[in-house]
Amino acid sequence: MKIAVISCIHGNYEALNEVLLDIDRHQVEQIYCLGDLVGYGPYPNAVVEMIRSLDIPTCQGCWDEDVVEGLNACECSYPSLLAEKRGRLAHEWTNQEIHPETRSFLAQLPLSLRDGNLCFVHGSPHSQHEYMLPDMHAFTAMERVLATGADTLFCGHTHIPYVRQLESGQLQVRVSSGQSSQRPNQQTSNFSAPLKRIVNAGSVGEPRHGRTNATYVLYDAETEQVTLREVEYDYQKTCAAIVEKGLPSIFAWRLARGLEFAERADDPTHVCER
Amino acid sequence: MQTFPLTLVAGPPGAGKTTWIRQQLDGAERFAYLNLGADAVRIDATYLAAEVPELVVWSSWLPELADFTKYQTYIELDFHIDLGSLVLPTEFADCHRVAVLPPGIRQTEWHDWADVIVTGTETRVPLQPPQLWRSLLTGQVLDFASLTTVWDELINGAYGHVQRAKGIFEVTDGRSLYFDFVAGDPEPTSTELDLPRWLEGRPNRFSGVEVVGEQLDETAIAQTLKDCCLDDRTLAYYQQQVREFLEDG
Ligand SMILES: [Zn+2]
Ligand SMILES: [Zn+2]
Repeated sequence: MKIAVISCIHGNYEALNEVLLDIDRHQVEQIYCLGDLVGYGPYPNAVVEMIRSLDIPTCQGCWDEDVVEGLNACECSYPSLLAEKRGRLAHEWTNQEIHPETRSFLAQLPLSLRDGNLCFVHGSPHSQHEYMLPDMHAFTAMERVLATGADTLFCGHTHIPYVRQLESGQLQVRVSSGQSSQRPNQQTSNFSAPLKRIVNAGSVGEPRHGRTNATYVLYDAETEQVTLREVEYDYQKTCAAIVEKGLPSIFAWRLARGLEFAERADDPTHVCER
Repeated sequence: MQTFPLTLVAGPPGAGKTTWIRQQLDGAERFAYLNLGADAVRIDATYLAAEVPELVVWSSWLPELADFTKYQTYIELDFHIDLGSLVLPTEFADCHRVAVLPPGIRQTEWHDWADVIVTGTETRVPLQPPQLWRSLLTGQVLDFASLTTVWDELINGAYGHVQRAKGIFEVTDGRSLYFDFVAGDPEPTSTELDLPRWLEGRPNRFSGVEVVGEQLDETAIAQTLKDCCLDDRTLAYYQQQVREFLEDG
């Protein structure tokens, strides 16, 4: 069985359209979507409508959650003050723009999807906001996959596509219980895990690899082969719509250069201390 | 009549006037510097003062004539000052006139005006740039990651075609940074000024920015820079963090 996995469309209808055409040429049996249908881009309603009409199983992204729940992410989840201001502008614009049926569609999206030994999430199994970057500590990465019970974990959110093999081997987990820091009760358990894999699907609508092309992945369940697809689309149309619909024109300038609009996280282990 | 050890330095933006003056100051003493035409946005003066601590910097056209006898003085003329209509005290009539020009240019008003032509850096900046935008930022502290983003956008044309940009910015960890860009220069520079870290409240030393170019979206530049600035509460929080970090070594 062949599947296609798309993520992070961010209201970029032109990019989604071109990616769906590309998927059509590869005879896949199923498409999965990892969320972030809205945010930054000019066509949140049209993107949701398309995903909905094609009945594509989709999990909820960080932007989808924020639009439904209101912006409650801590400001440290932005890499800079400027990114935060821009993120807020995009959030407010999207919040005004989306139709009630778009909002209710986003609200009912599940946090994860499962298909045999494959699991699909937006950020990580623990949160839509957690970044699993390619250089995440191997132990942490393995924990994330094991948490799902699946062998292959598909994620998005970082906008950088990658495939990572986690070799089987002995893992040692030390679990501390009790509050006292002087003499914690420590339990050590050993277990071996079979080969696990993390596949990041990149981003359809807000690619972050220095080129303007949309990215997504194809997965062949028989051969377990992952193919990273890069698809050209008419980004200038999206850029024109960004300006026309009253979004900050710097979003268009950045999109045209293969730069993320604002969001970027370099430190996946960052924990809010404020 | 008394003569004064005075050098006037002129030239187009980005040719290297300040760099040339900086070179003259090496190893010598009793130098003074005045930047004519930069008004409140004293980027060059602040940069030189940090680089050469012994330098006396006059911040406006105020020194008494007698002061000019005490120092070897360099007066940098801002590029938008019209040399033809510049009127100096008669005592300065025989001062030294230096024009710092990019290689290969001929027959300009600088050639008529100067005693000495110094060949500066190659630049793609037009000799008479169409637009100049300046902003005083004194008191403002910027988030470093935001600053590098906006600077990158600025020099790569997000807010119009920039030919020359320079600025002194205060950042969250208390440092004062000097950013310098000339179109055609492959490596835009940024350096840390040799000034003490400012970690208590808003800095009351100079910071500011100057942009020269075409079709500059001045409103967007100003707004974006504002978006990089910390409010009082956030500034106090980070300054305390940095103080604690530095105390812990
Ligand atoms: Zn995303
Ligand atoms: Zn996301």
